[in-house]
Amino acid sequence: MKKRIGVYICHCGSNISDYVDVEKVKEIAGKENEVVLSKTTMFACADSAQNEIVEDIKEQNLDAIVVASCSPKLHLFTFRNVAQRAGLNPYNYIQVNVREQCSWAHSDNPPKATEKAIKLVLAGIERAKHSQALTPISIPSNNAVLVVGAGIAGMRAAIELAEMGTEVFLIEREYFVGGRASQWNELFTTNETGREVVSRLYNKIIKTNNITLFTGADIDSKSGSVGDFDIKIKIEPRYVKSGCKLDWAKFKKAVEICPVEFDDPFNFGLTKQKAIYKNYPSEFPEIPAIDFEHCNKCGECVKICSDIDLEQKEEILNINVGAVLLTTGASPYEPEKGEFGYKEIDNIITLQQLKRLIELREDELIYHGNKIKNIAYIYCVGSRQVDGENKYCSRYCCTSAIHTAIMLKEKYKGINNFHFTRGIRTYGKQEILYNKASKQGDIFLQSFEDSPTEVYNEKGQTVVKIKDILTADKELEVNADLVVLVTGMVPRENNSINNILKVPIGRDKFYNEIHPKLRPVETVIDGVLIAGACQAPLNITESVKSSLSAAAKVNSLISKGEIELEPTLAQIDKLSCNWCDKCTAVCPYDAIVKKEYDGKTVAVVNEANCKGCGICLPVCPSNSIQLIGYTDVEIESMIDALID
Amino acid sequence: MAQINPDFATELKEYGAFDFNACYNCGTCTAVCSLSTEENSFPRDMIRYSILGLENDIKSSLKPWLCYYCGECSETCPRQANPGELMMSLRRWLTAKYDWTGLSGLLYKFLQLSIIAFILTAIGVIVFSIYENFKLETIMHYGHLFEMLAIGAVFSLILIPNIIRMWWFIILKPKVKVPIVSYFKGIWDLIVHMFTQKRTLGCDDNQFRWFEHFILVGGYLALLFTTIVLDWFGTENLFIIVLGYVESGIIFIVTFDFVLSRMKKKKEISKFSQPSDWFFVIWLFLLGFTAFIVRIFIDTSLLENNIWIYLFHLIILVQWALIIVPFGKWTHFLYRSFAMYFEKLQKDIKISP
Repeated sequence: MKKRIGVYICHCGSNISDYVDVEKVKEIAGKENEVVLSKTTMFACADSAQNEIVEDIKEQNLDAIVVASCSPKLHLFTFRNVAQRAGLNPYNYIQVNVREQCSWAHSDNPPKATEKAIKLVLAGIERAKHSQALTPISIPSNNAVLVVGAGIAGMRAAIELAEMGTEVFLIEREYFVGGRASQWNELFTTNETGREVVSRLYNKIIKTNNITLFTGADIDSKSGSVGDFDIKIKIEPRYVKSGCKLDWAKFKKAVEICPVEFDDPFNFGLTKQKAIYKNYPSEFPEIPAIDFEHCNKCGECVKICSDIDLEQKEEILNINVGAVLLTTGASPYEPEKGEFGYKEIDNIITLQQLKRLIELREDELIYHGNKIKNIAYIYCVGSRQVDGENKYCSRYCCTSAIHTAIMLKEKYKGINNFHFTRGIRTYGKQEILYNKASKQGDIFLQSFEDSPTEVYNEKGQTVVKIKDILTADKELEVNADLVVLVTGMVPRENNSINNILKVPIGRDKFYNEIHPKLRPVETVIDGVLIAGACQAPLNITESVKSSLSAAAKVNSLISKGEIELEPTLAQIDKLSCNWCDKCTAVCPYDAIVKKEYDGKTVAVVNEANCKGCGICLPVCPSNSIQLIGYTDVEIESMIDALID
Repeated sequence: MAQINPDFATELKEYGAFDFNACYNCGTCTAVCSLSTEENSFPRDMIRYSILGLENDIKSSLKPWLCYYCGECSETCPRQANPGELMMSLRRWLTAKYDWTGLSGLLYKFLQLSIIAFILTAIGVIVFSIYENFKLETIMHYGHLFEMLAIGAVFSLILIPNIIRMWWFIILKPKVKVPIVSYFKGIWDLIVHMFTQKRTLGCDDNQFRWFEHFILVGGYLALLFTTIVLDWFGTENLFIIVLGYVESGIIFIVTFDFVLSRMKKKKEISKFSQPSDWFFVIWLFLLGFTAFIVRIFIDTSLLENNIWIYLFHLIILVQWALIIVPFGKWTHFLYRSFAMYFEKLQKDIKISP
């Protein structure tokens, strides 16, 4: 029980004092037995007022303080710091919200607002009486991190983390690194190719000692919590021996002889690929791989190359890391059949296919045997949907389409670009590309979502029609040789990761951060961070920025060897607990585990996982769970004060 | 439904337009234009039509002629798309489309053709003089006769049919139903605009240019009358002689200023000059200046021994009458005033449906 409590009633300029009689509140609070000091203050948060509180605590030897002011969301930490500066435990500070809950909410009735403020302050004093001095919990952390996904974001974060002294395990589901970027040729706005960027990062990774890269690897299971995750990684074999020195001629022969043929996902089905493959000569790692899903194990390739080993087995690797960084990236939106004529009219492709097509066709742009002159780009396919679920803007597609259109005109002769947009969003420096495209004669048309661009076949011609708002709603049409659907981003399918790590997924199906502005790379799962396009549609520049900020955040979290956690957690009384599993069932954070204690089974809180949400408290049949900082005795005494 | 035609932009560039593709449709040009009105707003839509290649919409539009090129749109364009010069190019393009012979278009597009035409006409005059043994009196007689015949022929064979074509593009083809009586009611407007160009005054900061242009047109038409009807080169009447001096003086002084401002390129209107613009101001200057000199030579009795000066004047005159008037920039005198006339007809329809 605290016996020397100081109470401060804040005017908040006039925000509070205009409607709440702060003097009256002060007086009544001052009559409480344990209250040795009751004051009003113009702005409790002002430096001078803070210093006054510090001095009061020291001079009057206060053992708890109550500040009746604004919402604790605003100043809880301000006054906890004040308490700490005066040598008082920060958890002996109680904030009472008389602004949002009294003066603002009841500005029409000042006497009642005052009455309510008095009750709340008295309740706050009761809580202060029972408040306990708490110290933050400290748990050990392993300065090692698992980065999931070796695309640009993952590789860049891995390098940065390694350079800061963290042990990095970098895993990639595919057999080759680079992710989506390796599929793109020239990238806006530098015109570097995706491959150049990828190989630069890969070469750096190879030279960095404390990065271990696994390809064909995925998370198999996870246990433990922040600072101490035990993770099993499943590694699919490559079916080509790791010591293999790639002989290109031999590899070519093996590809030739392979009887299996299927749509090449790297080229989005524009070409066919064989079971043994490497998407491009300089792809990393250098050794080819065999797609075992399609391979029929005929063994023809083994005859040519002794380095091929179809008997290789899947491996499971156990690692311990302090944090997990997800950089699993995004995929292009796949239009539905019939969406703007996709897969119904044969000269309709996606922007991503076009980008592959440009690389496959060096001299002239030919698709399905026809030379391409007029290209119609339809924007916002799979983004900003009116009826569909993807309400978001994919951010990169306007610029990417325009950049591709510029490249096309530079590379091939006689190309006419027609952009059927819903408003161009080439934000920032990317605007220069839009300007360049306009100047080179590209035609931009725009419609609203209520009258979308139409694509149809008329006498063997593919016609694209728009009600152009830039030409006073005139109906305009183009005979297009090629229609390009400028498709947006959707998150990659990561069902196994989602099930294992339980990272919250937003309505847009991307991973959710805690706070978009202030905590943009953390998830509510402590120790699991997100970066790059798995979080939201981002271009490469933005992905790298977010991956570097996640790297910094991972480092600050695990590099000190221990992690401090809020002490306001659930606590289970082992004596009264008779394991019934109700609390484990409701806990959203896997924070309650079964343990043997003194000959019986009890529930124990894993402090690293517990968020102090309190959901386990009401389900406990033996009332064995207390939430520290909100114990029954504190809450009950508050209720007593309120109903007195 | 209209088909987009990106090749039109390429064609328009041959008429002097440039960079208009940079337009991103903000409409600043239309907002700042002091002649643009709610019913007849421009130049944004004209830029849009040009980019999209909607030829029919441009051909049936009077808007290019309603612009008097103060240049404010080009000055304020955030994309440097030069709407002012685009409107100028559309006027050249329309001039070419109105011309049934197609020669205007060829002369606009190919400088070589203009030069060849100038050389051929000069040779013609010289050959004719040789044929006439450089006999001053005969040559001057035929010169005078040529003026009258040329005016008649150019008007009846080229200009009137072209005006009819303009009427067809603007009124007939888009099926604008104009009551006959409106044609008569509008004639006064036609005359006023033809001789005053008063719409220019609607532009900001255009008063001095309007004044220069106004006295130039007055001087030009008066000199035409003085030489043809009053026979300036043959008369003994002092009043007529002085009148001719004043008129030709006005022409070469004003056009000299025009040439100078095109060289200085200080104002938007004189920044971008196509060959057709140069030909127009320079030939008009030479026309006034040589006429002035010829009359001085007559008054000082020097012409007899310096027949070359009259031949030079005649060459300029023939080139003017056979190239620049029917197929060059001169026609804007007619198209601008007829555009105001047709606009009045269209307005009548809108008021009484």
